[in-house]
Amino acid sequence: MDDLTMLRDLGRGLEHEPPAGLARQRRRLLDEAAGGRRRRLTPWAGGWRAGWIALAAVAVVTAALVVVPTVLLRGTTGAHTVAPPTGDRPPKKGGALTVLLLGSDRRPTSAHVGDLGERSDLMVLLRLSADRKRATAVSLPRDSMVRIPQCRSADGRTVAAHQDMINQAYAIGGLTCAWKTVETTTGVRVDHAVAIRYDGLEKLVDALGGVEVTLPHAVNDPKSKLKLPAGRSVVDGRTAVAYTRLRYVGDGSDTARIKRNTALMQAMLKKVSRLDDPAAMASFVRVAATSVTTDAGLDLDTMLGLARDVQRAGTRVTALTVPWRPSVKDPNRIEWQQPDAARLFERLAAM
Amino acid sequence: MVSLMIPLATPRLDSDLIAESRARPEAFAALFDRYAAMLYRYVSRRLGPEVAEDLVGETFLVAFRRRDRYDLTRPDARPWLFGIVSKLVSRHHRDEAARYRALTRSPLDDVAESPAERVEDGVRATAVRPLLAAALARLSKGDRDVLLLIAWAGLPYDEVAQALGIPVGTVRSRLNRARRKVREALGHTNPLRDEE
Repeated sequence: MDDLTMLRDLGRGLEHEPPAGLARQRRRLLDEAAGGRRRRLTPWAGGWRAGWIALAAVAVVTAALVVVPTVLLRGTTGAHTVAPPTGDRPPKKGGALTVLLLGSDRRPTSAHVGDLGERSDLMVLLRLSADRKRATAVSLPRDSMVRIPQCRSADGRTVAAHQDMINQAYAIGGLTCAWKTVETTTGVRVDHAVAIRYDGLEKLVDALGGVEVTLPHAVNDPKSKLKLPAGRSVVDGRTAVAYTRLRYVGDGSDTARIKRNTALMQAMLKKVSRLDDPAAMASFVRVAATSVTTDAGLDLDTMLGLARDVQRAGTRVTALTVPWRPSVKDPNRIEWQQPDAARLFERLAAM
Repeated sequence: MVSLMIPLATPRLDSDLIAESRARPEAFAALFDRYAAMLYRYVSRRLGPEVAEDLVGETFLVAFRRRDRYDLTRPDARPWLFGIVSKLVSRHHRDEAARYRALTRSPLDDVAESPAERVEDGVRATAVRPLLAAALARLSKGDRDVLLLIAWAGLPYDEVAQALGIPVGTVRSRLNRARRKVREALGHTNPLRDEE
């Protein structure tokens, strides 16, 4: 028996089989892939991320679109409010309305740390046309490198303007800073800003009494625990979330997921537009209010008015992503493709 | 309303996956599915199961962050991954040596051997284990990396060279030195097989 053979034998004796814990390591990788890059600002938030949150990111558009017209009725419920940015802002034009939607998550253990524990995983600029018949949702990928203007942090410090990923704005100065960043980088006047927590989607769908989805094929996906027959199904909150998270069905691409999210979005809008039972509406509003932060300018009348308009107009939603390319300086980040991005924002502002 | 398409065929080559992951980061998970278990087994030999889990996770995070620098003309990502693993393992240099030293004192309690294997190898294999472990504990980091990538990971010389970023000639010389030391520790128990 030669030395290498003996060594191999020793090695076999020392070897262990992979434990279930490797799944945790896989999740760690997926979280990183989904953009878990908060270590720099919040070291205690590093390493660990609830993976599903990133997967559900696009789903927030859904919740947001329903929430914007109806639920911003937080009025008496005392939800959190923020002030709009100060200083030079793009001018307000016409009757169209622009809302900045932020999907954020809160780490389960960070409730006591307040808003610092929240991260914005999704940023969407939603433009409602003056007649409210059309809505355009432009998503701004969270790792877009942009210039973040000077902002005031939650603990009162002034953070100087600098280049960073767009989602850092929310981490630095909350909704107001994110708002200011989006206005300065897109040149689009943002009328209202809303931050929604992911954990709200499931509850929202349930508060609506479920929504209807249509599938061309039956789905049985153990990864997302989704089992649905072909054709129409009414799904509850949990199933709806699983539906938006489907990753291993279809071509597994983001585009396919965005399609499903748009479908769910429309299903929710449809349901909301039929929500004429005041009790159901009230309960929906209550649920939504608990997972929403918004600006004080969206008062009850404004929101009710908006809700009525959207219901009446049967708003159609177009979902887009700002044109982007890998960043020249850091290929792990992206930057907006110019002049295409600028043109898109011009069109949006003129809509 | 919703269209569910037929899943696309999974790209076969590691380099395809890495290329795809540059635009679609989550594609990198397929590389994890391919190699995490293999790397875990290797690291569990060198550092034990507790460290191995986290180290394998770390390996893939490092690999993921460096995916843009991967040379796509190399279809097999294993040498690259083993290179990262070797770097991370070297941080535990002292623990690794201590682990081998511990083996020189106590018999392996985590050996899962069938009685048949025991009979086949005879008592001798068990008897030489403390000697082997002692020799491993004394090897330099560089020599040990080469020896174990060959003996335990089963990489050929050129892939070891790739993994460690050293010339193939250096792989050979390190391997020879390492094996000489191991054989010395065994007291030349098998002079007939002194050279390969």
